[in-house]
Amino acid sequence: MKIRLLKEGYKEDEQLFLEFRKGEVTHDSFFSDETVEIADAPDFPFYIGKGTEGKRKNDFMAAFRIIADYYVELERDIHFDERFWHSLLITQKRDYIEEHYPQAFESYREFCNIVTKTFDWENYIYKCILAVEYVEDSGERALPKDQYYELIVENLDIFNYIIKYSIFRNSEFLIKVLTVIHNLDLGEVLKAKITDRPDLGKDERYGRRVIFELNKAYPVLMSPLLDVEELQKEFLKALGNYYDLSDVKEEVETPSSKPGLLKRFARIYK
Amino acid sequence: MIYKKDANFPYPILSSNSFAYEESDFTIKINFEEDSDIYRFKVQENLTSPFMKRLLSEGVAQYLLIIQSKDTKFFTLEPNDLQVEIAKNRMSLSSRTSIQLHIVAKMSVNFAENGELNAFYSDLKNSIEVPKLSLLGFSNIVIFEGGMKNPLDIFEKRMDPSLKSAIKFELGSESIVLHFRDEETQFQSMSKASAFINPYLYTGLRMALERFVQNYSEEDDELVELTQIMQPEDLLDFKLYNLMMSKGIESLDNENIDEVIGRISHQIVEKYVRAVKELAINED
Repeated sequence: MKIRLLKEGYKEDEQLFLEFRKGEVTHDSFFSDETVEIADAPDFPFYIGKGTEGKRKNDFMAAFRIIADYYVELERDIHFDERFWHSLLITQKRDYIEEHYPQAFESYREFCNIVTKTFDWENYIYKCILAVEYVEDSGERALPKDQYYELIVENLDIFNYIIKYSIFRNSEFLIKVLTVIHNLDLGEVLKAKITDRPDLGKDERYGRRVIFELNKAYPVLMSPLLDVEELQKEFLKALGNYYDLSDVKEEVETPSSKPGLLKRFARIYK
Repeated sequence: MIYKKDANFPYPILSSNSFAYEESDFTIKINFEEDSDIYRFKVQENLTSPFMKRLLSEGVAQYLLIIQSKDTKFFTLEPNDLQVEIAKNRMSLSSRTSIQLHIVAKMSVNFAENGELNAFYSDLKNSIEVPKLSLLGFSNIVIFEGGMKNPLDIFEKRMDPSLKSAIKFELGSESIVLHFRDEETQFQSMSKASAFINPYLYTGLRMALERFVQNYSEEDDELVELTQIMQPEDLLDFKLYNLMMSKGIESLDNENIDEVIGRISHQIVEKYVRAVKELAINED
């Protein structure tokens, strides 16, 4: 099928929203001469900000699967181009939007937030594209693909933080970080807010600070090149800057005593 | 990650602008080919350091090619086969792409035998031992500009008779776009037209720089240390970044925006004032 690409400047054109609200957008004045040819363009959830944790997880997993099967093999010039996605949503997904995200029709603001959202780390399609590229391309996987997809959804805060900065926006690094989180069962602690350090800012979390520390140490310490065990060590070292691991230090280095470490982390919530 | 900041390494590092090495240099050129489904990058290195060459040939160090565009990709390369192929479904050249070659330690490296360091290290080098995976040297950065339409133009003017206001500002993908409803608003019939639109340009620059502060300041800190941030991916921000860096501006926050505009805009306000004064005199 052919996807007609919208004309440059469409993102500031409120007329496009008004036309979209009325019905299918077909008038030539909204389109450029360019088209993208795609074999099949099935529906998938692309606005996953709302709903229960369970629903969001299902939506993410469905989006990962469909993007992996139908979209991610397109050239990056296409699947990393926001004009392609916005054109697809506007010309092919109007019914889907009406059914699943009716609020997009309510106001221009909502329309911009759901349909013509800037294609960066805050955009759900962007998140899913990177997740799929990185999981599907990963060479050495300690865990099955599906488990990595689940780890991404369960650790969205750290996933967001990793893809927000181009430095660590890298397949191997993401996969290794997720493996470390899985091995040490660190998901909950990394998500937790740091409450005893008012100097750090309002919404600081242990996971973000760990990535921040690895970022700071680069390139003297080239963390993307570390293997999982080495990264594990550096991960805990960085975490130790914010959380007192001193009396479990010995246990940390011998994986067999993992429960001791976890017990220690569990106290953070009390 | 592409490395361009002047870093303080705790040991000597080889690069074109490092002082640690007396003469040795490390630069690259990139030859680029496109082949049906892939892009191929061939690296031509110019490494004049016998110490590094030895580490590479003995397998103590290795080349690491870093390609950064939409994301960052790392490739370890053999010294006799300096090229990589990347599928087009994993690489887009429509955005700016930066490429750099690193030399990375595969095991710990002792600097005692390094005869290329400057005199400062004469007594120290015996005790310099850098751990595995440390960066030993980095090349210049080769940049493919990609789809940037006008690498130097920060402003773009567009006419739109259907505009609901006389003028509209927009921060576009690679420029500040000024939409005008009619030509009169741009003073096109007047001889000093370019100076008369300066207040518009000022407004546009202010909008763009306010967003710049928002985008690149650390959370809860409204200050952007320009020397500390990575080159922005956004093309407009990248142009502003280059402009500010070229004027020696080190930091930007909401407090110094006007001062920064003054420094990057060649007396934008003063020129406007002069044009108006001239006009007033001519009318008398």
